[in-house]
Parts: sequence; structure tokens; C-alpha cells
Amino acid sequence: MRQPLDWQIATVKAIRPETAKVKTFTFSLPDWRAHRAGQHYDVRLTAEDGYQAQRSYSIASEPERRGEIDLTVERIEDGEVSAYMHDVLTVGDRVELRGPIGGYFVWDSELPDPLLLIAGGSGVVPLMSMIRHRAATGNMVATRLLYSSRTFDDIIYFDELEKLRGNGHGLDVFHTLTRGQPEGWKGYSRRIDDRMLKEVIKPLRMVPQVFICGPTLLVEGAANTLVRLGLPAAQIRTERFGPTGSGTGG
Amino acid sequence: MQETVNDLNRELMLDANAVAGLFQDIFGVEMTAAPTECAHCGAEGEMGTLLAFTHGPGIVLRCPSCENVILRITQTPDAYYVDARGAVYLRLAR
Repeated sequence: MRQPLDWQIATVKAIRPETAKVKTFTFSLPDWRAHRAGQHYDVRLTAEDGYQAQRSYSIASEPERRGEIDLTVERIEDGEVSAYMHDVLTVGDRVELRGPIGGYFVWDSELPDPLLLIAGGSGVVPLMSMIRHRAATGNMVATRLLYSSRTFDDIIYFDELEKLRGNGHGLDVFHTLTRGQPEGWKGYSRRIDDRMLKEVIKPLRMVPQVFICGPTLLVEGAANTLVRLGLPAAQIRTERFGPTGSGTGG
Repeated sequence: MQETVNDLNRELMLDANAVAGLFQDIFGVEMTAAPTECAHCGAEGEMGTLLAFTHGPGIVLRCPSCENVILRITQTPDAYYVDARGAVYLRLAR
């Protein structure tokens, strides 16, 4: 099916800080199309002299929200696009966007398999779209999120995840903090390892559909461990987040 | 020195999900869920699983199994150049 993918002018409707380095931008889209959870949009900036920079950012919101999308963006030092979005962009500004894009790292709520979601840092963003999609459709499939952050203050969506995990709809959330923990921390306190993954997947009686998103080391480590634990590789989908954002350069 | 360069590349490595928009520009269809086969080792998988090196002048996509180059894409002001000799086939949905 050929689909033209045209750039459109989106308007910044809201900007919400998530952590010290992460903000969520809500864009109103004139040519909105329902996305699939896990897809992303390309953002293109053009300077007065014609120089263009383009990056690809995962959609954080659920497809059920019509006419607008949330992109949650981590500010990267020297990042041409993310630094501009964080430091310059204000509500009412207009930005070129195209999407939704991608068909590999996506989850449809019709799939019957339990879900195992593994995130490192801002890799949680496309997984959050899946979690919100699941909640919006009343899907009750057993779902476990294992989310690795550096410190407590670096956790994105903490409050919303707490609320969703407590509503009895089969979502469990496990945090691990790798660079320091607040007093009385009850979650994990180390990098994701075999023992942790074993504990997290054990209660899932069926073979889960797995989505892993984060830095390359975390993605490869978690995927290799799961295969070693006997999960079929075909059930595991990965997306790597780079230090300059998942960009196409430029 | 060579090792340093390799480490840097690995650090900046993404996967082909990051070039889904470029795929759509070139091929006109969603390609990250499309299957392909490595001409070197014969591994088959979705295009989205290919390792992507996007920080050079062109884009290099490698096989996640043997790391051989599958696709190279260069953009000039008026054309795309696609070197696909590392793939046995590309599948474009119609």
C-alpha cells in the first residue's frame, strides 16, 4: 500500500516538563492520522539560511487521542533538534512534522500475548504509548514494564505509571535505579541482569510479546538474556535509542 | 586507535527504525516491517532490525547477525543512491 508521507505544519499546543532533561511536547496536527503504538514522527527544523536538521521522536500518546500527539524528548547536549525544542520552542510555535512512521516496533491491542516491556531511560517513550493505548482500549492483557533509570529524578511518567499499575487491570511496573537510590527505595538498584529478568517474567505464564527500547547495551543485554532464558527470538522486538536521539543525521 | 573508532561507532549505532522516514521517501512504502535477507550470512529478518550507522555522510545498514553491510544510502540534492548488494532481496508491499 503506497502512502505518501508529507510534511505538515504542526502547532505546539502544550509543553510539559517531565524531568530535568525531558519534556513532553503536545502538537496539534492539521492532517492527523491514528498511529500505531510504538511509531514515531520525524521533526524537521529549517534555519533562515536553509540549513535543515531532522530527528525522529517516538510518540508518547495513545492513538485514541484525536487531532494531536505527544512527543517526549530528552534534551541531548549539542543536540541540534532536541536543544532547540527544549530551549527555544514555545506554545503556539509551528514546526514541520511527518508521520506516523514505522511498522516494526509496534503493538496492536488485539494481540493476545502478555506483554513484557523493557525500557532504559527515554526508551520508555514508545512503551508508554503502548501502555496508554492498552489503558484507553480497556485491554487487560497481563503486562509487565521493567524500567531502568539512573536516579529517581530521571524516571519519566512515574506518577502516571503508579496510577495505572494500581488500577487492577493487570499492569505491573518494576523500576531499577542504576546510579543512586532515594532512602527507603524498594525497587531494584542495579543494571538489568539475568536474575532480575527471570523474576520479572516468571509470573507471565504464556510466552510474552517483548518490546525493548533503550541504549544499545541495554537492548542487546536484555534481548540476549531473554533468548538464553528460552524465549523465542521472534517474540522480541527491539529499538535502539542513540545518544543523539534516534535521528537520521543532518 | 582502530578500537576507539569502533567503540564510537557502536555507541552511535541505532537500528533501521530510525531511518523509517527515509525508507518511506525512497521506496514509498513502510519498510521497517518488511523482510530482507543478508547476502553474506543468509540471516532473514525485518528491515527494522538492521543495525544503522547514521552519523557518516551516508547511511549504512548492517546485518544484526554477521554485521555485513546490507544497504548503503547516500543523498545528493537531486537523487538518492542506494547500494543494496548486501541484500538478497528487498520486499516492497504493493
